[in-house]
Amino acid sequence: MSAQHLIYISLAMCAVMVIMRTAPMLFMKNKVKNKFLQSFLAYIPCAVLTSMAFPEVFSSTSNIWSASAGALAAIALAYFNQGLIVVTLSSTAVVFIVEQLMNLVK
Amino acid sequence: MNKTSTLKTESSFLKGLKDGIPVALGYIPISLACGIATSKAGLSFFMSQFMSMLIYSGAGQAAATNLIRGGETAIVMYALTLFVTNCRYILLSMSLAQRLDPSMNSLQRTMIGIFNTDEVFGVAMKEKGDIKASYFFGLATLPYIAFAFGNALGSFTTDLLPASLSSALGIMIYAMFIAIIIPPAKESKPILIVLLVALALSIVLECIPVVKSHLTPGWIVIICAVTTASICAVIFPVEYEEKKEEL
Repeated sequence: MSAQHLIYISLAMCAVMVIMRTAPMLFMKNKVKNKFLQSFLAYIPCAVLTSMAFPEVFSSTSNIWSASAGALAAIALAYFNQGLIVVTLSSTAVVFIVEQLMNLVK
Repeated sequence: MNKTSTLKTESSFLKGLKDGIPVALGYIPISLACGIATSKAGLSFFMSQFMSMLIYSGAGQAAATNLIRGGETAIVMYALTLFVTNCRYILLSMSLAQRLDPSMNSLQRTMIGIFNTDEVFGVAMKEKGDIKASYFFGLATLPYIAFAFGNALGSFTTDLLPASLSSALGIMIYAMFIAIIIPPAKESKPILIVLLVALALSIVLECIPVVKSHLTPGWIVIICAVTTASICAVIFPVEYEEKKEEL
């Protein structure tokens, strides 16, 4: 594929992305009055993040055991109100350690 | 602008920068993977970087890479695939628009929209009260830089990273989602139920072979989130108006 064509593709994708992300910002300036829509929008973030996190988290590393250990660590730390950095780095460390241990056992 | 409000703007920008650090760290493995994938698909370093900086979305870039590898040339197909994989941004932006400081102008709103990614959105929504422009810009700065940096590193080094490390880094973004969703679910029963319904629905949908073979993960997320939020909105309508007066 020519470089020129790739540039067109990138520009087209960029345009779609920008429209999707900005149009609601510009056309929904007034606070929504409708109770259903208010509630819907209040619940959307949690619903989107949850469905993106699960079950994908279990296949996010090289095996399901290390991924599960990492996910459990993240859930436990988040439950005890640890911040984003602590949760993400600890979970990554747990995955790394579990995978190293599994290599040793093998 | 008087001194105190300048200070306030500055500190909320700095607070945003700080809150953006974990997001930025989480983006490095994603964009690193994107960089590796695009360079493996045959893109030059420059082209990979150009694409990464224009298409600020890991899922969008992954979709583009797939199409490039498949030899697709129709631009419409790229645009459509991006739309489908990233449809949720319409929902996220609608939701974020409700929380923005009403005094913001259109340019600020546009800029916020452009840099509104899943994770930045998630962190921004944790703010109490209206979200200020300065806070959001602080928050969005480092993740964008990290995304570009990770991609450059990925396409430059391609497969130098040890497998053990890249495997562990893979969980980072999900650990971050978990860190965002758990604390509010502890405090509010409706949110807990939203979480549980979305969790169950997502796992069920992913496990049905017919669904999995016909729908992309992007669609599953949309269906799952819209269904969950609709059900819960009917059962637990929120009382925004009253909350506003308390504040």
